[in-house]
Amino acid sequence: MNFFRWVTSKQLMAPVGASPDAGAGDQEVPDRQLIKACQSGDVRAFETLVTRHRGKVYAMVQNMIKNEADAWDLSQDIFLKVWKALPKFEARAKFSTWLYRITHNVVYDWLRKRKIDSVGELDDGILNQSDIAAGSRTSPSVTARPDQALVNSELGERINAALATLNAEHRETILLREVQGFDYKEIAKVMDCSLGTVMSRLYYARKKLQALLSDEKGKD
Amino acid sequence: MKKEKTEELFVKWIDGLLTPEEEAQLAAAMESDPGMKAELQELKKISESVVSEVPASVEPPYGDFFNSKLMRKIDLQIQSQRPAKKAERWWQSMRWAWAPVSALALVLSFFAGHRISRPADPLAQKKTFVEFTAELPTVYFTGEALDAEVIADFEGDVSAIVVNGLSAIRDDIDFVTVNTSASLPESYESSEARRFH
Repeated sequence: MNFFRWVTSKQLMAPVGASPDAGAGDQEVPDRQLIKACQSGDVRAFETLVTRHRGKVYAMVQNMIKNEADAWDLSQDIFLKVWKALPKFEARAKFSTWLYRITHNVVYDWLRKRKIDSVGELDDGILNQSDIAAGSRTSPSVTARPDQALVNSELGERINAALATLNAEHRETILLREVQGFDYKEIAKVMDCSLGTVMSRLYYARKKLQALLSDEKGKD
Repeated sequence: MKKEKTEELFVKWIDGLLTPEEEAQLAAAMESDPGMKAELQELKKISESVVSEVPASVEPPYGDFFNSKLMRKIDLQIQSQRPAKKAERWWQSMRWAWAPVSALALVLSFFAGHRISRPADPLAQKKTFVEFTAELPTVYFTGEALDAEVIADFEGDVSAIVVNGLSAIRDDIDFVTVNTSASLPESYESSEARRFH
C-alpha cells in the first residue's frame, strides 16, 4: 500500500458503514479531500463518500421513480458509475452537481426502459398560464387505492401523491430546487438544459402542484 | 412583458431572489393585475409545503448492506481490471524481443529437423527390420484341390471370391533340404523340376 493511501485510510476515513450523522469526525473531511483519495484508488475513502451522500441520492431516486426496491438498486448503479467516472472528475466542478448529473442520467435511462414516463402530460411549450385553472386536474399516472387515499389525507402524503403525477422533468426540477436546494444554474447543469427552461419548468410545475392540491382540498 | 420574463419574475419572487430592478418590474405588473399577488402567494405556500414535507435525505433500507454490496461490486471490478492491464503491459514490454526469439526458434527448428532426418543407429535399424518382417502377411500354399466360388450381388454392386483348398506353409518345412515327396504336391515338384533342369 502506498504511503498516501495508508495515511488517508488511517487518519481521514470514518468507520465502514457509519451513517452521515454518526460522527462529526466524518463530516470534517471535505468531499474534495475524499475525492482526491478515491482518485488514487482508496476504496475506503469512497465508502465514506457513499455513506455521506447515499441518503440524498436515494431520496432523489425514490421521489423520481416512486419504487423503493428499484430506488435501492438504482442508487447502487449510480455509485458504481460514480466510482468508474471519478478518475475523470475535475476538482473545479462541484461534486454534488456532478453526482446529481449522474443520478439524472441513470434515472432517465431507467424511465426510458420502463416507459413509465407519462404520455400526454402537459407540455411547457404549448401551455399558457391562463390554461391552468385552479382545481383543474392533469392526467395522473398514479391512482391511489381507496384505503391508500385515506392515508394520503396528510399533507406530506398529498404532496408526494401530487409530485408523482407530474412528468419526470417537472418533478425533477421541483425536487432539485425545493428539496435539494440547488440554484437555477446548478439545476440547468444537472438537467442539461437552459436557464430559461429551468425557470419555465419550475413555474409550471408549481402551478400544477397548486392545481392538484387545490383539487384534493376541494374533494375533502 | 414577455411570457418567459414574467415566468422568471414569478419564480424568483417565490424564491425571494428578485433584484431591486426586477421587484420594480413585478410591482408594476401587479398593479395592472390585482389577482396576481394572491396567486403568487398561493404558489409560495405550495413551495414552502414541498420544502417542509419532502425530506432531502432518506437513508436507504439496510444501509450497511447497501455499502457492503456496493463495495463488493467495486472490488470485483478492480480485480477484473487488474489481469487485463498486466497482460497488456507484459506484451508491450516484451515486444522488442519478438524478432530475436523468432529467429532463435527458426534456427532451433532447423537443427531439430536435421537430427530427426539422420539414419538411426544400427540396433535401431535391426529392430525396425524385425518389426517389418513380423508384419509380413501369411504365405498360403495350395493343397490337393483348389476351387473358388464367386458370389456377386449386382444390386449392391458387391462381389466376393471364396477360395477353398489353401493352407499356410508349415513352419517345419526346410526349403534347402526339403523332402519334396513328403509334403509338396506333384504339380509343384514338376514345375520346380522344369525351372531348375
